[in-house]
Amino acid sequence: MSAWRIASLLALAALGASVAPAAIAEPYLAVQQGHKCVTCHVNPTGGGLRNDFGTVFTENVLPQYSLPSGFPVWSGNVFKFLRIGADLRTSRSETEAPNLPSERQSGLEQLRAYANVSLIPDRLEYYVDESLAPGNAQPNEYYGRYSDPAHGWYLKGGQFYLPFGWRLQDNTAFVREVSGISMTTPDRGFELGLELPEWSAQLDYSRGEANISVGRGHQLTGQVVWIRNDWRVGTAASFTQSVFGNREVEGLFAGRRVGPVALLAELDFIRDDGFPGGERRLAAGFAEADWAFHQGHNFKLTAELYDPDRSISNDQQARWSALYEYTPIPFVQLRAGFRRYRGIPQNDLQNRHLLFLELRVFL
Amino acid sequence: MRVRRLVIAYLGLLAASLTGCAGSGAGLDSNGRPIGSEGGGGTLTADFQSIQDNVFTPICSVCHAGGAAPQGLRLDAVNSYSMIVGVPSSEDPAVLRIKPGDPDHSYLIQKIEGHASVGAQMPFGGPALPAATIAVMRQWVTDGAQPAAVAAAPTGLSVVAAAPSTGEVVLAAPVQLILTFSAELDRASVAPSTLKLERIGSGGASEGVEIPVVVTVPPGNPSALLVTPREPLGDGRFRLTLLGRPGLADIGGRQLGGDADVTVTTFLVETAP
Repeated sequence: MSAWRIASLLALAALGASVAPAAIAEPYLAVQQGHKCVTCHVNPTGGGLRNDFGTVFTENVLPQYSLPSGFPVWSGNVFKFLRIGADLRTSRSETEAPNLPSERQSGLEQLRAYANVSLIPDRLEYYVDESLAPGNAQPNEYYGRYSDPAHGWYLKGGQFYLPFGWRLQDNTAFVREVSGISMTTPDRGFELGLELPEWSAQLDYSRGEANISVGRGHQLTGQVVWIRNDWRVGTAASFTQSVFGNREVEGLFAGRRVGPVALLAELDFIRDDGFPGGERRLAAGFAEADWAFHQGHNFKLTAELYDPDRSISNDQQARWSALYEYTPIPFVQLRAGFRRYRGIPQNDLQNRHLLFLELRVFL
Repeated sequence: MRVRRLVIAYLGLLAASLTGCAGSGAGLDSNGRPIGSEGGGGTLTADFQSIQDNVFTPICSVCHAGGAAPQGLRLDAVNSYSMIVGVPSSEDPAVLRIKPGDPDHSYLIQKIEGHASVGAQMPFGGPALPAATIAVMRQWVTDGAQPAAVAAAPTGLSVVAAAPSTGEVVLAAPVQLILTFSAELDRASVAPSTLKLERIGSGGASEGVEIPVVVTVPPGNPSALLVTPREPLGDGRFRLTLLGRPGLADIGGRQLGGDADVTVTTFLVETAP
């Protein structure tokens, strides 16, 4: 298990790096800025519609160039009680794998619209995240949230993304695929959250993705994050009770700001009784370094590990990416990257690589 | 300087993780399982077993398996047939995941071709399946989406798969047992009296405790049988037997196993830690 020792060292390195002055919404931005997710997003657990601070940040801090003076400023507020936003992503990619023809794909990856209705200011809100394309419109998140700003807690009910580890933009990252909790798997239930100056915690009771087809069973998910200015550490756990077999996931994640570099790491361990052969133990690790070398420019490196069955030797998979993100003007981002998969030699797809280019427009 | 050293150290660890961390694959098949433990790949042909071995198991079940299978859809070798053929899609219930004879209106085909009414093209995050692979899968659906054993056992009705499978240890009492057969069942032959679910001892001897069940053929999947215990199964070992008289039969009048009883699955329920 030397791979897991290395992954553990990566996590420790993220924690152990030194203190440095602040540099500058993806998780790495939160780490670079020392902010909590709720600082920039309407949703306390991050992702989706930005709040006033997040919009101002997106317009003034993230891009290389500001819009010309006199250009209309986007605030997100349509009415005093209604806030909206959107996210459009198109991509082009070329994938190559041994013994397989190379494949090019291009097109619209997603078009989402967000809305937040303030029913009772600072108390009761209703949030919607709707996919408009590709395919027919489909709700991702829709929930009501009652907050007590004075004491920092909230109660959310409806359909929403569960909190677990880093809420990465890349839903294909091993830690997101293997944990089964990502921004592709909204769940229905309730969430009790606590947002204190240095702490963020959630406890969720939901249906569970695996139980959609049978209509019974449940999932319990919890997460606690301790957030300091230049580092944070969190732990998360999830238990799914299902007629197909129970599943436990435990995760540890950390972030550290080192000068202009943000370091992120996550380790997830899974025990799943839902496989045909019985219990299987899996593990996944993730490490990321983001270097915002100039305003509007970010260079990202990621390295990932995945052990699909810890009782079997020689089956581990790895994945790494090099990615450049350029945000020339507010609400527009270009991403170009290379991603390499490494797995067992007899599986061609586990040894593919791809080049990709993405255009993202978001409000 | 300290900052630089630490960043370099972190990036060095990142680089180290890129080399030597992928498994060598020694002793494993192309799906990363010990050689001989699961079906092999072979050439892709328009029959279910081949599609399972070449597509569902190596590609789809990377995500669609276990206790976090997206949409609850498990495409592992034991469960896939009974969860797709004639079963409504959870994302668009008006469309069957696989509609035998009609690939254009089969949700799974739509998803791999990238024009389903909902959501992204599958496999998610990976390259699309080659056109030749999709063509073979369409052919299988056009041919009636037959289960695996049809070609192998043309002379009689047989059980293709059972869930829980023989020897399986389940940690939550199953609310339903699923059987799939090599041919479409004659619904008139389906009755609780055609089978017996009983608790057995560790040596396999009957404990004389028969569990009452409800038996149904799911709508849209006439080759499957759902066995629902009327009372929760407690911890213990269970055996499901299809009885020879009166026996199950397919629409061609072929009986399962002649007049003999057929043990379909023996499994252990173990909810206590």
